[in-house]
Amino acid sequence: MFQPEAMLEAFRLFFTLEVFYWLAIGVTVGVGVGAIPGLSASTAIAIMLPFTFTMPVAPALGLLIGLYKGSVFGGSISAISFATPGTSEAAATVYDGYKLMKKGQGRKAVEMALYASVSADAASDLVTICVAPPLAMVALRFGPSERFWLVVAAFTLIGTLSGRHLAKGLISASLGIFLATIGSDPVSAVSRMTFGIWWLSGGIPFIPLMIGLFAMSTMLKEGINLLRESEIAEKVKASIVDGLLKSGVGLTFKEYLRCWKEMLIGFSIGSFVGFLPGLGSTVGAFLSYGVAKQASPEKKIGEGVLEGVAAAEAGNNATVGPTLIPLLAFGIPGSVAAAMIGAALMLQGATPSPRMFKLYPEIVYALFMILLVGNVFNLGIGRIFGRFYARLGLLPKPLLVPLVFMMATIGSFAYRGNHYDVMLALIFGLMGYGMIVLDIPTAPLVISFLITPMMEANLRRALIISRGEWIQALFGSPLSIGLVVATAVLIFLSLRLKASERMRG
Amino acid sequence: MGFDKDKEQAKFKWLRCNQGFMLTLILITLLVYLELSPWVHKEVRDGFTLGFFPVLAVVLLIIFSLILLIDSHRKEIPGDVKTFTLKPFLGGVLMVIATWFYFAVMRKVGFLIITPVYLMFFIYLLGLKSWRTCAISALIMTVVVYGAFTAIGIRLPPGILSGILPF
Repeated sequence: MFQPEAMLEAFRLFFTLEVFYWLAIGVTVGVGVGAIPGLSASTAIAIMLPFTFTMPVAPALGLLIGLYKGSVFGGSISAISFATPGTSEAAATVYDGYKLMKKGQGRKAVEMALYASVSADAASDLVTICVAPPLAMVALRFGPSERFWLVVAAFTLIGTLSGRHLAKGLISASLGIFLATIGSDPVSAVSRMTFGIWWLSGGIPFIPLMIGLFAMSTMLKEGINLLRESEIAEKVKASIVDGLLKSGVGLTFKEYLRCWKEMLIGFSIGSFVGFLPGLGSTVGAFLSYGVAKQASPEKKIGEGVLEGVAAAEAGNNATVGPTLIPLLAFGIPGSVAAAMIGAALMLQGATPSPRMFKLYPEIVYALFMILLVGNVFNLGIGRIFGRFYARLGLLPKPLLVPLVFMMATIGSFAYRGNHYDVMLALIFGLMGYGMIVLDIPTAPLVISFLITPMMEANLRRALIISRGEWIQALFGSPLSIGLVVATAVLIFLSLRLKASERMRG
Repeated sequence: MGFDKDKEQAKFKWLRCNQGFMLTLILITLLVYLELSPWVHKEVRDGFTLGFFPVLAVVLLIIFSLILLIDSHRKEIPGDVKTFTLKPFLGGVLMVIATWFYFAVMRKVGFLIITPVYLMFFIYLLGLKSWRTCAISALIMTVVVYGAFTAIGIRLPPGILSGILPF
């Protein structure tokens, strides 16, 4: 229920120079950290969390929300400029973003990512503000069975992400499932598939896999092409100064409007995925990208178009606000970043719980204001960073390839301070290069790697709850049946799309 | 020269069609399956076998590989396989090995010392045939990356400079 006195108190908390100052710092650091491969939103928040210990509650929230928003967008900058997703949620942005950069439209792509991120983020923040408690109720009705079907629905998108050759896409997805099963089994934590290598018992971490498959493989390909060129005595003509001075053409308002459908898809899916605890912004980005590709095959998403960037970026940033809904309504953090924001609130004496709206309404309202105004800061600061990075992406290849290799190496290491992660990133770099050469798409591998543990864990939990009854476990609630129907519709649409693609030749 | 290249490309003819590639993949997956067999049937507390999902993945791999052997695209040669030659590929493998070596040395010697050397040689190898430009670019890139990481509070390996560096 709306409380006017609390709203006035929230205004008093929010409208201070300190809040704006820390919000700006948060977004700036967040965009910078997000753009560095291996460092995610949760890393950015973890780095800056100690600063909040001595701050009043509103500036502390300003810093953390700024970091969160900035880093989710920041990941897209390096995804577009260097084919190196700064964060896992930006992996889907690489497909169209880097192709646009190679076409000389890097600035356009970065600006599209920024505007799509901010638009979807702002819209999802409004959703968060308006419907936080009822949405949280829906989220809590999603048990293991419903989550299992949601993940199965995500699997159907593999067909769309497979490109022309479906069998190769399915091979890629199977490889993803295979790699995801390395480590411990998700229910009983028994070690499996480690081949006697002790450091594999924790499984393959997503960051080195992503850095290897995207950054290192792409740069390996570029590097090998350069070697081939020098082999046939072709001189490298690119000029460093020219590369840095070119700013490229910016995004027009018409181009932004052209992507409304993809942004709407990203906003809807991202908001939905965001308020379901545990799925995360990476799933939001890939789902949005896949659905947008399926919805408009004529736009050729995946071949270097702005619509692909818009769908992926809207999909990941739209999760930022909704991921706080379970935290605010029930005290359950929906993501690692939300858990850290919850920890900061606890340090401020406002422990997130189902009584949060009753006990600390002024803090909740101030948080909503910060969420909304944070988008304005993200827009302004993101533009400055975007322009700078878009120029870096135009550096001559002989400089860009070693720079990305070095950044990817230290990014993999900085992720956990584990040198095996660097080794894995290099191995996946070679594997990714092999996949490029053999024309096997990487997107199905990434998405199946990401969702297989969720699928396995939810299926097995559902079976434990139903005491081994498969029918009860899989179709035990109306929500599950609804999701089964939705999955069937998605499979049908996917097959129809493939058939029409084949007809078009 | 061109004749040598043709000869080199001919060596990889077996790789230039999907059948060859898929057969290789089937053999690898079968091998992995055999590798898994000692523990694969071990039952865990919830009644599932430990190897259920890994075996499912291998079975799927074999099924899709077999589909690829008979589907309408089987005679297509992927674009990058057409131009595949051994020498530049080995150069790529060398890049990966050199990067691992760079990382191993960096942990002992320090980021600021080994990175300019690594970058300088890498840039030269990729075609910027001016040592001076390579050295200046390598130094600038090292300092910028070091500064960016230090600014956000992440300490890159200081190595032998650990007592000298202020950060």
